[in-house]
Amino acid sequence: MRTQNATAYRFLTPYLLIFAIFWIWPIISSFLISFQATRTVPWRFAPAFNWGRLIGDPAFYNALKNTLLILVIQVPVMIALAIVMAVLLNSPLLKARGLYRFAFFAPVVVGEVAYSAVFRLMFSLDFGIVNKLLESVGLEKIDWFSNVTPAMAVIMIAVTWRWAGYNAIIILAGLQSIPEDVYEAATLDRVSKLKQFFYITLPLLKPVIVFCAVLSIIGTMQLFTEPFLITERGGPGGGTETLGLLLYRQGFRSLNFGYASAVAYTMAGLAIAITLVQLWLTREPK
Amino acid sequence: MAAVTLTNVVKRFGVFEVVHGANIDIADGEFVVFVGPSGCGKSTLLRMIAGLEDISGGKIAIGGKVMNDVEPADRGIAMVFQSYALYPHMTVEQNLSFGLRMNGNPKADTDRRVKRAAEILRIDELMQRRPKQLSGGQRQRVAIGRAIVREPQVFLFDEPLSNLDAELRVQMRVEISRLHKELGVTMIYVTHDQTEAMTLADRIVVLKAGNVEQIGAPLDLYDDPANRFVAGFIGSPKMNFLSAKVVETSNSAATVELVNHGGARLRKPLCDAFPAIGAEVVLGVRPEHFFEAGEGDCDIPVKADVAEHLGSVSYVYANAGAEELIVEREASRQRASGDHFTVSIKAERALLFDKKGARIR
Repeated sequence: MRTQNATAYRFLTPYLLIFAIFWIWPIISSFLISFQATRTVPWRFAPAFNWGRLIGDPAFYNALKNTLLILVIQVPVMIALAIVMAVLLNSPLLKARGLYRFAFFAPVVVGEVAYSAVFRLMFSLDFGIVNKLLESVGLEKIDWFSNVTPAMAVIMIAVTWRWAGYNAIIILAGLQSIPEDVYEAATLDRVSKLKQFFYITLPLLKPVIVFCAVLSIIGTMQLFTEPFLITERGGPGGGTETLGLLLYRQGFRSLNFGYASAVAYTMAGLAIAITLVQLWLTREPK
Repeated sequence: MAAVTLTNVVKRFGVFEVVHGANIDIADGEFVVFVGPSGCGKSTLLRMIAGLEDISGGKIAIGGKVMNDVEPADRGIAMVFQSYALYPHMTVEQNLSFGLRMNGNPKADTDRRVKRAAEILRIDELMQRRPKQLSGGQRQRVAIGRAIVREPQVFLFDEPLSNLDAELRVQMRVEISRLHKELGVTMIYVTHDQTEAMTLADRIVVLKAGNVEQIGAPLDLYDDPANRFVAGFIGSPKMNFLSAKVVETSNSAATVELVNHGGARLRKPLCDAFPAIGAEVVLGVRPEHFFEAGEGDCDIPVKADVAEHLGSVSYVYANAGAEELIVEREASRQRASGDHFTVSIKAERALLFDKKGARIR
């Protein structure tokens, strides 16, 4: 048995080496870097330098506020939408179900740059279809990218469009695992379809919904592509800058690796903390 | 309480007809068991009575009222599912009261009904547990309790004991029987287990491939089956079937020759139909209706292949010519594997079937 294990580990060694060098070490290294002043040569150990700056940095609080705002508004809306989509996909009345399933899932496989470009076009002030539609129903067109609120809305709409279908497919799998006879028992108990949804479907979907919510929270904490490409690097005036974008700006434009590492660890810490709170709030009663 | 009447009930799934015009009358307070092999349409029939499946043709009436287009909840029925169908996120108490609470039933009445069901089924101490914290038997009790709180006119059971182990099945069988006596309501029970059917039913409905083969009291079906299928399905171990040929007829009997047993002959008195000489027939003999050599009307030698000793009786799986027979023996007459012995058939305890399986009486 021991010989077998040794052989297995020998086969695993190349992978483990690569994993250690390119995955484990950067995690440790960035943690150490976050305690160093990296704008001096050579770098020097200064624990309060980056973490101290983080606590008093208005740019950090702006990015944190924007990220949390997107998280608080977009994630619940997207999950609710995903549940509705999953219920529709699960309906026996729906024809061409496979086609709809593909259509809902398709946004995930569209390239990020391509979909961001399309969203910029759709929300363009003068040529965008959204403003054309608003004008066609007698509303004034909106300058989506020059004001913070509409720009944030565009990001939330884009992220929701991209990920709602993905979550709907996961929730659909959860829906299909609920035994049909539970609903039949409720039907015999004269429980309406609406009440069945709220009293049976939603509680039984809770683990799947929590899973989707956790994935979405982690994804939102890392949000980068949409504010980088759709609202052009967190514009207008940093109004849509997220923590992911702040990290990028500090790390790869200002080459301030220490501060960027501190931001990265803050993002990870927040994601873990929010997830733990959520898991605690939605825990199964004993 | 209510009678249930099925008149020419047909069920089609697309172009496939799975129930072909079932006619069944179930009296008020009767315990009727639908029994048959997998795919015979027994559960479909039950689900049509419940309203969970549409009726493609015919009529279903409960308490004299046609229910074809009535919503399941308005039919006055309650159903116990094979998989229990308990709400996994609710406690036992919530499971029992859910339907009543959702319909705005007064709390005092809900509590009374839940308490009564819990007392009847002796699940008072489980009320705060969730289904996953219960054993199979306890879950089944809760499922039955959920049916009791509805105070239905008709109870429907869809193979409720099939997920339980043998010992618990016997125990629950007794409980269901006790419940029927206590509540006195009409119960329709679906099972593929003929032992359950025999022990529980006032009357059994035997189904095969969507057709009602025979309806009758358990012992009537056992003693006087209408055809070879019912004869083989009712009784455990199942009836032996011996190939035979009619060699002589008179106006009151037919003599058959057992083709695989060296020309052994049996004169079978008949009253209705007389098969033609030379007709191929089948002789049915239950394992317990083989007698000691010389005690019956026709002796056949057999060789014991395997013997199952159950204590009070033994079942000997024997080879006889090209046929395999199951012979029941009392413990004192146990046979060991390899033994050669002779069994005897009494004409009065043997049944005759034609080539298509219909009974020749």
